[in-house]
Amino acid sequence: MTTVILLMASGMQEKQYTPSLLNFFVYNPTFGQKEGEEEKKILFYHPSDVEKNEKIRNVGLCEAIVQFTRTFCPTKPAKSLHTQKNRQFFFEPEDNFWIVMVVRNPMIEKPNKDGKPPTVEYQEEEIIDTVYGAVVKQCYSMYKLFNGTFGRQMEAGGVELLIQKLEKFFYRYLQTLHLQSCDLLDVFGGISFFPLDKMTYLKIQSFVNRVEESLSLIKYTAFLYNDQLIWSGLEQDDMRILYKYLTTSLFPRHSEPELAGRDSPLRPEVAGNLLHYGRFLTGPTNLKDPEAKFRFPKIFVSTEDGYEELHLIVYKVRNSKCDRPSSVELTRDFCEQLDGLVGPQLTLLASDICEQFTVNRRISGPEKEPQFKFIYFNHMNLAEKSTIHMRKTASVCLTSVHPDLMKILGDINCDFARVDEDEEIIVKAMTDYWVVGKKSDQRELYVILNQKNANLIEVNEEVKRLCATQFNNIFFLD
Amino acid sequence: KVQLRTATYIRYKANSECQNNVSSPTLDKETEDAATDNDRSDSGEFVVTMLAKAKLEEQGIGVKGRSSPLLEVGTQETPAFISHRDEDVTAESWRQHRKHVFVLSEAGKPIYSRYGSEEALSSTMGVMMALVSFVQSGDNIIRSEHIVVFLQKGPLVLVCVSSSRQTEQQLRGELLYVYYQIISMLTQASISRIFEHKKNYDLRRLLAGSEKILDGLLNLLDSDPSFLLAAVHCLPLACSLRDSLSQILQKAITPNLVFSILIARNQLLTIVQEKTVIEDARLEPADVHLLLNLIGASSAFQAGEIWTPICLPLFNPDCYFYAYISYLDPPECTVCLLLLSTDKEAFYAVAECKRKIEEAMMAQNSLSLIAKVQSYSVSQVGVSDLRHFMYKPFDVPDNYRHEEEKMRLLDLYRYMHNRIHSTSRPLKLIYHVAERETLLAWVTSKFELYTCFSPLVTKACAITAITKLLRWIKKEEDRLFIRYPPKYSTTPNPSKSSRGGKSDQQDSTDNGFLSLL
Repeated sequence: MTTVILLMASGMQEKQYTPSLLNFFVYNPTFGQKEGEEEKKILFYHPSDVEKNEKIRNVGLCEAIVQFTRTFCPTKPAKSLHTQKNRQFFFEPEDNFWIVMVVRNPMIEKPNKDGKPPTVEYQEEEIIDTVYGAVVKQCYSMYKLFNGTFGRQMEAGGVELLIQKLEKFFYRYLQTLHLQSCDLLDVFGGISFFPLDKMTYLKIQSFVNRVEESLSLIKYTAFLYNDQLIWSGLEQDDMRILYKYLTTSLFPRHSEPELAGRDSPLRPEVAGNLLHYGRFLTGPTNLKDPEAKFRFPKIFVSTEDGYEELHLIVYKVRNSKCDRPSSVELTRDFCEQLDGLVGPQLTLLASDICEQFTVNRRISGPEKEPQFKFIYFNHMNLAEKSTIHMRKTASVCLTSVHPDLMKILGDINCDFARVDEDEEIIVKAMTDYWVVGKKSDQRELYVILNQKNANLIEVNEEVKRLCATQFNNIFFLD
Repeated sequence: KVQLRTATYIRYKANSECQNNVSSPTLDKETEDAATDNDRSDSGEFVVTMLAKAKLEEQGIGVKGRSSPLLEVGTQETPAFISHRDEDVTAESWRQHRKHVFVLSEAGKPIYSRYGSEEALSSTMGVMMALVSFVQSGDNIIRSEHIVVFLQKGPLVLVCVSSSRQTEQQLRGELLYVYYQIISMLTQASISRIFEHKKNYDLRRLLAGSEKILDGLLNLLDSDPSFLLAAVHCLPLACSLRDSLSQILQKAITPNLVFSILIARNQLLTIVQEKTVIEDARLEPADVHLLLNLIGASSAFQAGEIWTPICLPLFNPDCYFYAYISYLDPPECTVCLLLLSTDKEAFYAVAECKRKIEEAMMAQNSLSLIAKVQSYSVSQVGVSDLRHFMYKPFDVPDNYRHEEEKMRLLDLYRYMHNRIHSTSRPLKLIYHVAERETLLAWVTSKFELYTCFSPLVTKACAITAITKLLRWIKKEEDRLFIRYPPKYSTTPNPSKSSRGGKSDQQDSTDNGFLSLL
């Protein structure tokens, strides 16, 4: 008797959904307090095609939650609402102006047999409040960078102007949010610094001074190499958000064509000067063309008594970029002047820095698989360093460790944030990876070790070795 | 199933005053007053009142007046806590309570509030109700300086507002305990039925007097680590003493008796269970906690013997057991005997069991032996750097005597417990160096251990200490823990009974820790 065995390919695949943006809205409960006028509270709502009553209902719920929590703690109302399917984050950046972001929880869809609808399992714990809370704050900071505060907008043109600006900004900005790849680095909002030897650093400093001297319109300057900061004259908070804009939005937009290679037809006409390799990333792309119109984006930076509106000029030579906020109308003449002055000098500097870069590389070894996987952040100067993140642009963020480990880092960071004192936390995950977190004097260090058979003492020794090589000037608890 | 055949029950209670009133189900409101007269000297009567009340309530007729001894706490306040019923809910002090708990019905009717009276809080409760219905069904949490956790179970909504740094899972677990305590008094089936019948029913009528029990539970949840670890505190006894007590219990049985439990100073001495019907099902730690709380919260039990219906929510949320409760050492009242039966008529038979037990214990002088037993302390372990530990199965705290410090330590353990048992990213080990102490938590397949050291301890020292501690625990295992409850059989062929429990008891275990370290 023959037996037939049928092996059915399992079409039973689990589908994993990452967290995604469901809603994002800005409201002010003091507008439209009268019955029937609730719609006036809503200043921006995404997605816009939602029915009006639903918008009002959702905003009403947020108001109710904030009010309710004020019963128990008047000064610190609700920060987030966890439900099975999604998570809402509340942020009040300015008096009575609220920003609310609703994120759909990651979920797994398991197919059912017999044509029944698939069962959905929501993974509430995958979302860490501090991470997405930081994302909301960043949304506001970015808005403020390009538009100034809400209050200022109201002064300048009332509610109508504010609504207009919100619409214009968030419509585009929300599309750039990649919630599935947010992690601890979003909490820090740090800046990656480029380590330089003293001589080159001084050369850069004097260059910057000269430029600012000769061109009085220039107010502040910042100097970057690749995606790393070398020098900045801006306030820390402003630089932080500007840095994020530059590294996640502006630079990738412009570097893509360059990466396309010299002979590729994609390469745009770089109408350059043969004397140097400089060009404008914002402003005129082609100085030679007198008809071409150009614009510099306007940004708002904080000063002692308020805010200042400046033009952002980003000038690039190969990999070094200089950006300069400057005030007042910028004419073509000015641009040519700038180009003539900065271009050649920057080109020279660039080669110096490039040399340094190669030297650094040689010292620290090939970057294929860094010896230690760690993340370091210094709250005082916002310096961050990560050997875990390999490529971070707006759309892609590759980490070389499992996302669960990144979440454990997030948990440890939450624990550190609870107290001011120095602490150390070592955990062993279910996968036998060891994660060590150290907090010392405004600095945080997280190390991930893949040493399954190590015990606590050995792990401790490894980390001590790391500190000795990379952070020998810094005292961490033992 | 709650078969409230009140008529039949009363028949053999000769002097019951309720008799005339409850035998007829079509009672009108006026005559119910007579049903309320509680003569506490005859314990059987209480049951009638309680059951009768529930039945009448279900038929839509109210019963005024006092309730069962389960809910009756006597005239004096239990010294452990004071009532917060009359607190001013608008005061800053009300806001500053570490943890608020509210229970309301689906229709928004208030049922219980830990601080402040329900009336004063009715508008806040109204807002809570609105929030719950507004947000999608399922459990919801609001996170701010406080965490607000909503839990819906059947027709009841429970809310907790806490600034205690606990996680939402832990708070939800505590709300579940509150829910179960309510169930232990009324059964889940009754509650569903009542609310099905009348959506805006005021459950406080059935729970009148029970606030102290819920208050007591919440205080225990705050201060007793056994809830966190889902384990029961056992009094450490010499093996021989525990065995002899178990034997005494095993011999004093009667048909339909399912559990016999001996408790001393709120810790478990021994528990034996019926074999055939119950088989290997065990009483969940949560049920034991609820029982202990019920007994502890009510001073009425200290008078003589009590026979009362009680529901064990995790065992079976829809039916009542009948509990015989009696303290064996009045007036100190530290040793309590608890016999659970499924037969509500069995009062006399069960009381007879108690008499037998008492006799046997007297003969063996058990009471004084129990009185001599000391809960052990860290110093007994002989590990110098160790300040405190919690080991599940179990232990006893030492050091950290001051109330606030105890709470803070427990909070620290709770935070570690949460991280280790996280559903999405659980951990095996946590070593946390903080300003005031160093904590180490470790989970293996055989045990969970939470320890606390001085902040300056070195890692090597901590590991040595843990090793020593685990060795000590292993050595003392038999004395410290009850692994398997001995069993008995109440069916006519008792040949297989008694010692069956012990033989399959010990699995030869090494804790596995030596290989890890």
